[in-house]
Amino acid sequence: MSEILNTLMQDARVWQGYKHNKTTQPAEPTGYQALDNQLGGLGWPRGALSECLLDASGIGELNLLIPLMQRLSQAGKTVFWLNPPHTPYAPALAQAEINLNQVIMIQTEDTGDFLWTLENCLRSRVTGLVMAWPGRLAAREIRRLQLAAETGSNVCVLFRERHYAEQNSPAALRLELEPDDQQGLKVNIIKRRGSWPGQRCSLAMAHRAGLFYPEAPRVVQGPWPTSAR
Amino acid sequence: MLWLYLHFPHLLLDHILRSSEHTAALVIVEDSRQKVIQACPAARDLGVNTGMRLKTAVSLAPNLGIIRADEQQEARILEDQARWLHHYAAHIVLVPPNGLLAEIGSLQRLYGGLPAVWQTVEEALHKRHLTAWPGIGHTPQAARLLARTGKGECTSDKGNILHTLGLMPLVAAEFDRRTYTRLQRLGLNTLGEVFSLPPAEMARRFSPETLAYIQKIQGSRSDPQEFWQPPGYFRQQADFVQEIEHSQGLLFPLQRMLSELENDLCWRQQDTDSLLLVLRYRHTEPTLLRIRTSGPEHRADAFLNLISLRFEQQPLQAPVVSLQLSVKRFLGREAAGGQDLLGESQDLSEAWHTLMSRLQARLGENALKQLAPRPDHRPEYAWSASRVQLKNSAAQIKAWQLPGRPLWLLHGPQPLTEAPQAWFTGPERISGGWWDGQRVHRDYYIAQLNNGQLAWVFRDVRDGWFVHGWFG
Repeated sequence: MSEILNTLMQDARVWQGYKHNKTTQPAEPTGYQALDNQLGGLGWPRGALSECLLDASGIGELNLLIPLMQRLSQAGKTVFWLNPPHTPYAPALAQAEINLNQVIMIQTEDTGDFLWTLENCLRSRVTGLVMAWPGRLAAREIRRLQLAAETGSNVCVLFRERHYAEQNSPAALRLELEPDDQQGLKVNIIKRRGSWPGQRCSLAMAHRAGLFYPEAPRVVQGPWPTSAR
Repeated sequence: MLWLYLHFPHLLLDHILRSSEHTAALVIVEDSRQKVIQACPAARDLGVNTGMRLKTAVSLAPNLGIIRADEQQEARILEDQARWLHHYAAHIVLVPPNGLLAEIGSLQRLYGGLPAVWQTVEEALHKRHLTAWPGIGHTPQAARLLARTGKGECTSDKGNILHTLGLMPLVAAEFDRRTYTRLQRLGLNTLGEVFSLPPAEMARRFSPETLAYIQKIQGSRSDPQEFWQPPGYFRQQADFVQEIEHSQGLLFPLQRMLSELENDLCWRQQDTDSLLLVLRYRHTEPTLLRIRTSGPEHRADAFLNLISLRFEQQPLQAPVVSLQLSVKRFLGREAAGGQDLLGESQDLSEAWHTLMSRLQARLGENALKQLAPRPDHRPEYAWSASRVQLKNSAAQIKAWQLPGRPLWLLHGPQPLTEAPQAWFTGPERISGGWWDGQRVHRDYYIAQLNNGQLAWVFRDVRDGWFVHGWFG
């Protein structure tokens, strides 16, 4: 077989039906064993785009990345937050043992700046992880980002709305995130390199608010002066 | 002592020619009398000569670029030349309008002989595309005369120098008009004949000043010089004959200026983190552009990248007639860090600065923020965003005493629109801020909304319910 074909097979860029290929592409463990297992024992792909598709924030989507952020920031790699919809809350990040010196938040004004910034971050050697909230993006622009991601070797996660799940995308990994019972997070793999998609798993995320199921709710019922609601 | 004099026959012309990409015919005209005083080679090919009337010159070359001589500008350009010469020689004297004098007797041992000094200076001149006539003399005046007549030779032999001077015609010796006429009437034709006159007679027949001048040339009278001190800043200016309309056209002269800056910084063994660019227009007010890098930097291409990014963001207001680059802030150069065996950390911090500077140049300085917790009980004051800075210190991870905090904080509390599905911990009462007027009195709960979002909600004094954060 020619060399090019071999490379394509090894990088798992050619989908081979039933065959489960162990890919050699570089990746970072997610920190969640259940999810790693579903991702072929690898985790977040490096040098490629990943997408998280979700309806509303606050379902544990950041906690999915906290172990990675923790590891990278302590190793001296920079973590970028590009156009986050809310303020990343520094006390909580510090509580999660993330080195805040390595966390940089960037706000851009238009799509041109956004793409340019993301490309520059992806190409730099100092970057460990880029988390970006792009809003509306054309398929062509995602393709451009995927190419930029390939030149670097860092993890890039785009957070997009869930209705984009029906569109196809050049991203290497696509996860659909939904809230689950007991404050957990249901992860549905829509696309991944080298194997069938469609795996599902549920991750316990109750620890993100300091709750440990099945502990009873700890709301103090008071004799309040006036009723709350 | 041995002196080197550099005579720049057309300094202003050289200065303008080297900041323009294409060379059109160009002349410098005198301020008042409309006479050509300097002409570039292209103009000379067309038949334009110095001393010609401007009208004649224009009829010979209709597309002639005309620049008016400006004393201040010439003084500034001369000082620019002194600045680079100072890299080679310590004692420099400015001789306005177009000469530089340098003491080179003390340099011979450093460079390994006079020819090496001569060659170094000639190379430096060539690199800067400057035309200069050098002259070496045992006195400042001797060097000056030799240089201005173009008879400079690379010799330190006093007899040889005096011999060359002796053969010089009187016209070239720059006596004042009256003395020159009187000397000529005496039947003297060369400087050598003047040298052989007895000094006492000279002083009596002519003026004591004439004697002093002769003696200063010969070296029998002291001629103290005041040496020039380099200024504590870097400044370069490019002037354009044809106004530049597109910022792309500014990059060519900038490239040269920045490489001069790089040389200057290397020579100072210093770095800088802010450049000031002044773009001057013909009619409107000049634009000031401050280019900042996030860390100490000295490489010309790094600066050029940042500047071209800035130009992309900020188009020119009007055609530019001159461009000035100045640097006033110098920083000590960081010693190569010895923390890492492979030197990787040094490399990485350089890459970090490059990336941050690029981002800041395009997005503006306030677009990038670093976050930090702040000791305050009120959630909206418990964090701060600051300008990006590289902090190498290890993270201050300390056991956090506070109860759980959400990863997302809303930009401001949002009214809670639905009754939560489930309630978890709470209440956590936060009351404070009486000291600065931003009074906060709230009970915080963690609750889950119907669509699965885990929210940080609070009830305030007036019984309103708000969402303040999401447990992302």
